[in-house]
Amino acid sequence: MSSGIVFPRTDSSIIADDGDSLTFCSTCAFSQACLSEGMDKSALMDLHVLVEHVGPLHAGEHVFREGDAFGAIAAVRAGTVKTYMLDSDGREQVLGFHLPGEVIGLNAVHDDRYPCNAVALDTVMLCRFSFPRIALLATRLPNLQRHLFRLMSRDIGVASMFAGDHSADERMAAFLIGFSRRLAQRGFSPRRFQLTMSRTDIANYLRQAPETVSRVLRRFERDGLVSIKQRDVEILDMPRLEAIALAVLRH
Amino acid sequence: MATSTVLFDPDLLGRYDRPGPRYTSYPTAPQFHADFGPTLLREAAALTNGDPIPRPLSLYVHVPFCTSPCFYCGCNRIITRDKARGDAYLTRLYREVGMMSTLFDRDRQVVQLHFGGGTPNFLGAEQIAEVVDVIGNHFAFADARTRELSIELDPRFVSPDDIRTLAQAGFNRASLGVQDFDPAVQKAVNRIQSVEETLDIIGACRANGFRSVNVDLIYGLPLQTLDGFERTLEIALQARPDRFAIYSYAHLPKLFRPQQQICEEDLPSPQVKLALLQRAIERLGAAGYVYIGMDHFALPEDDLARAQSHGDLHRNFMGYTTCADSDLIGLGVSAISHVGPTFSQNPRDLPSWERAIDEGRLPVWRGMHMDEDDVLRADVIQQLMCLGEIDIVQTERRHMMDFRDYFAHSWLQLESLQKDGLVELTSRVIRATPRGRLLLRVLAACFDRYLVPQDGVVTQFSRTV
Repeated sequence: MSSGIVFPRTDSSIIADDGDSLTFCSTCAFSQACLSEGMDKSALMDLHVLVEHVGPLHAGEHVFREGDAFGAIAAVRAGTVKTYMLDSDGREQVLGFHLPGEVIGLNAVHDDRYPCNAVALDTVMLCRFSFPRIALLATRLPNLQRHLFRLMSRDIGVASMFAGDHSADERMAAFLIGFSRRLAQRGFSPRRFQLTMSRTDIANYLRQAPETVSRVLRRFERDGLVSIKQRDVEILDMPRLEAIALAVLRH
Repeated sequence: MATSTVLFDPDLLGRYDRPGPRYTSYPTAPQFHADFGPTLLREAAALTNGDPIPRPLSLYVHVPFCTSPCFYCGCNRIITRDKARGDAYLTRLYREVGMMSTLFDRDRQVVQLHFGGGTPNFLGAEQIAEVVDVIGNHFAFADARTRELSIELDPRFVSPDDIRTLAQAGFNRASLGVQDFDPAVQKAVNRIQSVEETLDIIGACRANGFRSVNVDLIYGLPLQTLDGFERTLEIALQARPDRFAIYSYAHLPKLFRPQQQICEEDLPSPQVKLALLQRAIERLGAAGYVYIGMDHFALPEDDLARAQSHGDLHRNFMGYTTCADSDLIGLGVSAISHVGPTFSQNPRDLPSWERAIDEGRLPVWRGMHMDEDDVLRADVIQQLMCLGEIDIVQTERRHMMDFRDYFAHSWLQLESLQKDGLVELTSRVIRATPRGRLLLRVLAACFDRYLVPQDGVVTQFSRTV
């Protein structure tokens, strides 16, 4: 049973994908970087930073593939993007999930090629910003630079979160709390959301078997921490779930 | 929580006895279309595997064969005495089981397996046990305490020894076709079945540890009388089955050819038909059975009655069930699957089903993908059918909508039903009254987007009661 709304807003009068060619979406993480310098989309255009709306991409379509030449970062306007790599045996390694308002492609800055694949998990809309121009701009605008660095370091932090030695319960709690906090930051409900990625993807990301994902969630449900109906998740006891997640998140 | 009190109001039942779907599904099968094929079923199954907690599975096996034709029957069946047809059917069924099983992750447990027909026991007990085995090789059964293995039985063609074989194969529920013990009625419907053989089989189910036994009766059959039906109820009640299903006979000879054998003049009048139902409800009520919904009654200690009082009752193509919300896999000719928000049905004719299997294709004939509106309406109708009420507040919360606004049109219809005393409307709940409990499908029809009443009948459905 689904409401059809993937990520309900805290303030239901605001829609997620509310930007246009001149204004940023209210959810956009990248917009903070620019707006802090008093620049909206039209100002970026004036400075010859190419801003381009991409999509809709459908589930399974790639945004970029590993090795593609890097030219732009992109903010997710709608949908979820999964980033992953393939190991030498062709096995998939999920790196992360990017929600509306979040930025993808930052980890390509290092060597001018995308170091991973990015694929749409559902219907995805993107906003692409040409990177060389943004970078150049950042050298002149300290606030923009600081925001960009912050976005990049957050990306690295998320990827290393599950590298440690934690129990299945701790990993899952951290995953849900992390998801919830990220949504809250972008103005979405921290308590009710859909898990847009498959059980196999979650399992891969948390380094668990798919059966373990279900077993842990069933236990969480029995303990009154969450309620799960197909893809719909509701966090019922945030403090207790946070307490379990603490070992992984550390705050 | 819903009460199981039910009040018989002949005037109301007479007035609302109009054709309508039975809502074993919403949308109902006439909405399925041929654009929905195997690829879409595969995709739907893959999506359900991707749920964080994938739902358990319910399996339905359709056995289309009957040895002898009952004239009242509206089911999809093939009359034959040739047992070899059973073997040939199973060979293909096993291929279908194999193909279907690859669509679902192995850790998704089978909590329910039901055999329907036709006459499932057209197959021998050993053959049926073999089907369970084969399914067990391709799917993971839930443990014996949780899983429900049920079968519809024609007591004329099964022995107490067969029941033991079935129990050993894991069957724990049986549903016995009785209809009526009155010899005149039995002759008129071409189903001669003695009281002894029927009671023997009920006894054998008990002796072999079946958790529950259901008895099917039908009212409205040709030559049926109040006295005769009373005796039928009397005899059946002595065996104290855990459940009763009291079905209304729908005479639609144009739709169901076997019914052309029934003499229209022999059919009881609408008044007598209602009196038959009233008698059944009174007798079952007096004997301690509670009303579950639609045509079903159960002893208060039966799982169905317990589930209903806990708000845990579900309804699918197999009727009411205690099994948690599951994805349903239909196997065999005409069977319907319900996977995620999709329905898919196998061909209703044997040759088409056989051809698909022989060509190694999933035999999907038609189906549909529910949209958000369908999902919402299905939820509302499910609540009505299982609990006799709709929790407006919970529904709004679950679907993030404004109930009165969304269902403004339905509400108007409900208000007129409220005037007639079928339903209670408040801002928090829509509840069938004890009078309205026998007319749940009339209430449900208010929420059916596809049922636009235009001067009478839209689709040919059986009458409400």
